[in-house]
Amino acid sequence: MKRESIFCIFLAICLTFLVLSSGCTEQQPAAQKGEIKIGVVASMTGPASTTGKDIWQSAELAAEEINARGGVYVKDLGRSIPIHLVQGDDESTREGGQKAVSKLITQDNVDLLVGGYSSAVVSAHQAIVAEYKVPYIISGGSSTSVSHRTDIDTSYMFFHRPNTDDSGEASVMFINEVIRPSINSKFGFSADRKLRMAVIYQDSPFGKGQLDAVKNLIKTENLPIEVVAEEPFKMGESDFRTVLTSVKSKNPDIIYAVTFLNELVPMTQQARRDVGLNTLILSIENNDDPDYYKGVGSYGDAQVMESRFSPYAVPKGSTEEATRQFLSNFDKKYGGFAGMMGAATYESVYVAAEAIEKAGSLEKAKIRDALANLAMPQMMEIMKGGIISFSPDFHESKFDLYVVQLAIDPASGEPRPTIVWPENLKAKEFMLPDWYTPGST
Amino acid sequence: MDGSIGILSQVAFWGLYSGCIYILLATGLNLIFGVMKIVNFAHGEFLMLGTYVTFFLFVISGFNPYVLLICSIPVLIVVGIIVERLCFRPILGTGKLNEIFISLGLIYIFQNMVAMIWTDEWRSIKSPFSDITISLGPLQLPLDYLIIITVTILILVAFYLFLQKTALGRAIRAASQNRKGAMLMGINVEKMDMLTFGIGAGLAGAAGTLWAVSGQVFNPYMGSIPAIKGFAIIILGGLGSIPGAIVGGLAIGMVENFTAYTLGGSWKDAVSFILLIVVLVIRPTGLFGEAEE
Repeated sequence: MKRESIFCIFLAICLTFLVLSSGCTEQQPAAQKGEIKIGVVASMTGPASTTGKDIWQSAELAAEEINARGGVYVKDLGRSIPIHLVQGDDESTREGGQKAVSKLITQDNVDLLVGGYSSAVVSAHQAIVAEYKVPYIISGGSSTSVSHRTDIDTSYMFFHRPNTDDSGEASVMFINEVIRPSINSKFGFSADRKLRMAVIYQDSPFGKGQLDAVKNLIKTENLPIEVVAEEPFKMGESDFRTVLTSVKSKNPDIIYAVTFLNELVPMTQQARRDVGLNTLILSIENNDDPDYYKGVGSYGDAQVMESRFSPYAVPKGSTEEATRQFLSNFDKKYGGFAGMMGAATYESVYVAAEAIEKAGSLEKAKIRDALANLAMPQMMEIMKGGIISFSPDFHESKFDLYVVQLAIDPASGEPRPTIVWPENLKAKEFMLPDWYTPGST
Repeated sequence: MDGSIGILSQVAFWGLYSGCIYILLATGLNLIFGVMKIVNFAHGEFLMLGTYVTFFLFVISGFNPYVLLICSIPVLIVVGIIVERLCFRPILGTGKLNEIFISLGLIYIFQNMVAMIWTDEWRSIKSPFSDITISLGPLQLPLDYLIIITVTILILVAFYLFLQKTALGRAIRAASQNRKGAMLMGINVEKMDMLTFGIGAGLAGAAGTLWAVSGQVFNPYMGSIPAIKGFAIIILGGLGSIPGAIVGGLAIGMVENFTAYTLGGSWKDAVSFILLIVVLVIRPTGLFGEAEE
């Protein structure tokens, strides 16, 4: 009996120690270790690995620049401390994202998260972020089904990207204001002729979000655009020949492609080369990446893309210097240019640093509050009102978006973009290429 | 859906092309299973290696990528032989679980090795015939795909003649039909294992070259999905049956493309596997498989 009692007391002491020590670990701010830990959620492997690498390298560059200036001043500590990045590879899958984010939060004890690309992947790990209440600056996950969801607490999530409604609106307005009149004028169609648009979209929240946004806008604004085909495809698809054959049979004037860049490259090539579909393909901003221009080659000539950061088409104005500096620094460090997702993540790390400085603390609730009230001057991407801030309802930042058109650069043999819309940013007029064939009248 | 004959024929043509890649992959897989009775989940990685060997040789030599088949097939045969000797020979007969884990390990090894050498960027190469299209009535037949279909047929004919007309081919068939009987007849079955694995990997390498030449993009992780399809095809056609792999490959290629045309691209895998389930329910040994004694 006596031995049992001693064992029980020993067990109780051990358990008490364990409970207390685990509590201490959870509450111990990373700042006591003299650094700010930022978890970077990026697809380092799997189908989206090209973009993932871009995200990670850009975050690394931002952290390095901030640390070179002495780090981030934290008022509670009375000193500046450096940023330490921790990589979380979501493997381009939902499950991979859940594992990566769980590890970043529970094992690496990060103070904040940045990154995230695919809407499907981000939506799968949002619940973990909500449960642990870690501030998360998401530079991807553009579907409104990710940022407007109400089934979980999204109060710690901040979206530094346009949502599918925003990019859909910019794309459709460009199509209606520029492409439709160009086609009608060049081919002698009546001015009220409806433009025939086929939508080929990734069967994911991102793709469906874009499709819904485009259809809703056409309906609510009563635009003279007819969606003649809606063709979904699986994420990571590389064979679009049959889908394009089906689209060709519908005689579209334009294809609205909602893809990742590893999907857009074969789609564009197969459309022109294999299926003989001599029509325009309008793609979405996430494809504005040097790897797209390199991969698509001559088949990208004259194609159009909605964008907010282009490595080869820098808008004139207040963001020009910062953009050129970023591109130059990135080129020096890694060789080559970053794409749009890289730029967004680079800015996100700066946004995180600004929020921590404003919060004066590494307490997650205070960082969240600082992010909610943030009003930071724009950096490279052109923001509405020139300020990076998050909307009170869904914590989304608002961008001035533009459209680029590609043309072959004889020196590199690759297409290069030039801004053709809107009026205040355009560097040249949109041109219908000679090879273009409109859909049926 | 516009179901005109021209469009349906075009879709069938794309199905035929997809089927060619699947046939080469599945034939190799089935040959290996037929002789060694092992399940190699890393077979898709041989296809991936085939694309990179082609890409590498194309970049350094600038040769016509079709000519590079005469390099990619032997390189992959050697890789297959090394894998068989170092990885599968030691565990042969020790249980399916060991084979599965060895092949899963090989997937990661090959993927990481290729990513280390060539990075994990998406790559593609351009065939010199990529801008040539032959019009046949309403059909648009890019020359590259006609060559790919022809090359596949030639490889299959050569493979058939090798199995039927040569002593080595007969020995492989004997080892496949009755391993013990073949041993008793003086056939070195271990040598047949090695050779079979090499040929299987070589066929996957040929599929990889044709994949790259067709303009499809590739990266180190692209082998997994074709490998899964390859397994579906050999189960559909009948385990160990070469005609089964050919018919199964064509069937999956056609079904995928007609599904993409009628129901949309996101349904094509689902319908292919529904076909597999239906065939197995009706004929559990597959289309050309024989019931085990």
